[in-house]
Amino acid sequence: MAAETDTGAIEDFGQVSRTVGTVFRYLLLAATMFGIVMLAVLLLYVANDAIRPLTADPGWYLAFFLALVAPTGIAGWAVRRRDPAALTFGTFLVGMLVVSLMFSGGVALLVIDVVPPLVALAFAIGLAVPIGATVGLTRYAHRISFTLRLAATTAVFYLSLFGLPGPIGDAVGAPPIVPSLVALVQSVPVIPVDWMMVAAVVGGGSAAAIGTYVASVGDGSAGLYAAGVALAASAAAGAAGPLVGVDSVPAVVITAVALVPTTAYAWRGGFTEEGSPLGLVFAATVVVGALVGAAAVDVLGFAGPQSWVDWGFLTSAHSGTAENAGLYPAIGGSILLMTTVAALSFPVGVGAAVYLEEYAGDNALTRFVDVNISNLAGVPSVVYGLLGLGVFVTYLGRSAGTVLVGGATLALLILPIVIISAREAIRSVPSDMRQASYGMGATRWQTVKNVVLPEAFPGILTGTILALGRAIGETAPLIMIGAPNVVFNLPTALGSKVSAMPLQVYAWSSLFASEDFYTKAVPAGVVVLLAVLLAMNSVAIVLRNKFERTQ
Amino acid sequence: MSQNSTNKQNRNERAERDESADPTADGMDIQTDVSGSVAASAGGSPTRETVVSAKHISVWYGDDQALSDITMDIPERSVTAMVGPSGCGKSTFLRCINRMNDLIDSARVEGDLYLRGKNVYDDDVDPVALRRRVGMVFQKPNPFPKSIYDNVTYGLKIQDKGGDYDEIVEESLKRAALWDEVKDQLGESGLELSGGQQQRLCIARAIAPDPEVLLMDEPASALDPVATSQIEDLIEELAEDYTVVIVTHNMQQAARISDQTAVFLTGGELVEFDDTQKIFENPESQRVEDYITGKFG
Repeated sequence: MAAETDTGAIEDFGQVSRTVGTVFRYLLLAATMFGIVMLAVLLLYVANDAIRPLTADPGWYLAFFLALVAPTGIAGWAVRRRDPAALTFGTFLVGMLVVSLMFSGGVALLVIDVVPPLVALAFAIGLAVPIGATVGLTRYAHRISFTLRLAATTAVFYLSLFGLPGPIGDAVGAPPIVPSLVALVQSVPVIPVDWMMVAAVVGGGSAAAIGTYVASVGDGSAGLYAAGVALAASAAAGAAGPLVGVDSVPAVVITAVALVPTTAYAWRGGFTEEGSPLGLVFAATVVVGALVGAAAVDVLGFAGPQSWVDWGFLTSAHSGTAENAGLYPAIGGSILLMTTVAALSFPVGVGAAVYLEEYAGDNALTRFVDVNISNLAGVPSVVYGLLGLGVFVTYLGRSAGTVLVGGATLALLILPIVIISAREAIRSVPSDMRQASYGMGATRWQTVKNVVLPEAFPGILTGTILALGRAIGETAPLIMIGAPNVVFNLPTALGSKVSAMPLQVYAWSSLFASEDFYTKAVPAGVVVLLAVLLAMNSVAIVLRNKFERTQ
Repeated sequence: MSQNSTNKQNRNERAERDESADPTADGMDIQTDVSGSVAASAGGSPTRETVVSAKHISVWYGDDQALSDITMDIPERSVTAMVGPSGCGKSTFLRCINRMNDLIDSARVEGDLYLRGKNVYDDDVDPVALRRRVGMVFQKPNPFPKSIYDNVTYGLKIQDKGGDYDEIVEESLKRAALWDEVKDQLGESGLELSGGQQQRLCIARAIAPDPEVLLMDEPASALDPVATSQIEDLIEELAEDYTVVIVTHNMQQAARISDQTAVFLTGGELVEFDDTQKIFENPESQRVEDYITGKFG
């Protein structure tokens, strides 16, 4: 004591043991890494079987290293030194291009083999007209009473989609008096070329989205201008496609779904005030490198890997031999199933979530529903398959294994997950904002519509996409409802038989079990399934990040 | 030493009140304080009509009583401040005026509250319609994640009010002393403004539909001193056109900006309500004097 006070300094603080803490920390790290490493090993194993990277010519690797990998590394390092944010933006841009190209493949599949362009155009017009009328009525005629507006809106929708007297008239045997807008469009004597109609539907939808996006970051006239440019680009791609050896319809779809949105994002990130052109340099290096590499190996004659996942695998149907077997009908089936599932589970799930969060009081019924939603989320999927079989096939008498029955069953399966994640998103809207809205004299409906749903929407969308990711991998319910193991054509209606990617992989590994299928078709199918899943989840992750940033 | 004894005295008083089983006896006790002060305030400003008149308002949250038997009259076009320690029920009283307590499941309100002679707790009163006539500004700035323009027009849109929105937005932002700062960025999100600007935006949003009464629940407590003084100046100006009722923690703020002050003390009772000057210079109740001079609370 005395010594310390004399000198004013403590000579030795001593040491506190941290051995246990250190051991604990590394045990936690091991636990974290265990699952990830196991999964990574499995995926590498499957990918190795499916893509067979070791079969490629060394020259092929050298060419791509020189054209793609090395320049990317150098550009990435240089960009990162000057502006790390630009590198993030550039990487994101490349990812967006890849993912949107995959999505454009899915859309192209739909417009080429599932929905005839004329039907798509007819329904697009038949829906766009009444939606436009509804928006116009709500915006400019809000003095008219709600009942009158509802009646007018319903009438316009009915006329446009069914005509007079429509299904009601059919039921009593009345002759059609006024054809629906949908039928009218389809009966037009002069039919434009397919790609023009695709440009109108897909390009139009894409242009509307781009216009809204640009208007939200810039101003209204810029949005209109961007939408016009986007539509013109889609149409131009259709006209120019055959000149460079691409069919018109795929050219239109790729432009509308992949190139136009990516360009819009690149423009925003590269040329507006907060953006940086450096990111564009990085993205351009990657894209040009990939193209140059591909051209170089083509010219020099270096063979790439003998991958089982090739163009043939993606575009042909099942076959007796593993070499010729393809996944095309299953990919199309999965896309159609997911569309049905999303259309069914999203409105029901979000509706239930809004009711439980915003309307229901805290009473016995709510708590009962609460507990059971959590329970339902844990019910095994095979049980849902049984439910689908019992309700839709046996009781309602729909034929087994169709898109509608499969979609409805999978929708039931993910409904609890959609509800739970949507409730989470709604709950995360600050109650301050609800208070502010109620304090202004808003009704509950106005508060939900104007404040809660817009705030919660990205979160709801993220949850729904992740739930769809679960549905896309489900096999058991599809087997239960009698989906065929092998389908040779894409389903073209809600009542057609459907297969799906996991079901096809399962069929290859069980019905056609042979060394060949095990080592070739199965891994290739798994890789495609995972690629689609990752593409979907990447959209969800991007939405979530955007959502978190605005919080 | 004296502080301790005062505290003890107060606690004893409160304990006695709580123990008394007869609610009228409890009410009488306060009544003597309040009726005198109401008369005084009416005498002090004879030209001002009463806008909000509370009669024997009591509020419970579940089994906890948050307000006991509040009776007070709030005159129009003036600033009425409510002060008191945390949990004394002043915010609860504010929320009784526009029935925001209805949104809390466990809340129960007894008594009558008249807004321009109409009892807002009558069965035929729609709380939503009531809130359209009583604007509210909250403790934490809570603009919507929409553009500044859409924030200000929110009330007009939901209330289906017509008129020249551009003009109303400019007028409201000018009254909220925010126009010069934001006139070139009306399309930008309200969340991009600073805290003080956000609160003024909330005030602009509240006054845009032209309410009769403006309730403010500690509107400056989350702001820095500069923003606070801007808000205070603003409140004094707003009182020329609106009846402003403001809850505040801050004694000096109440003294600076209010015309009348109501002092709530723990247990949800209104101890004294009078002209601000009188409350701060010569309060009737010893407890109020102790609270204002900082001896407790």
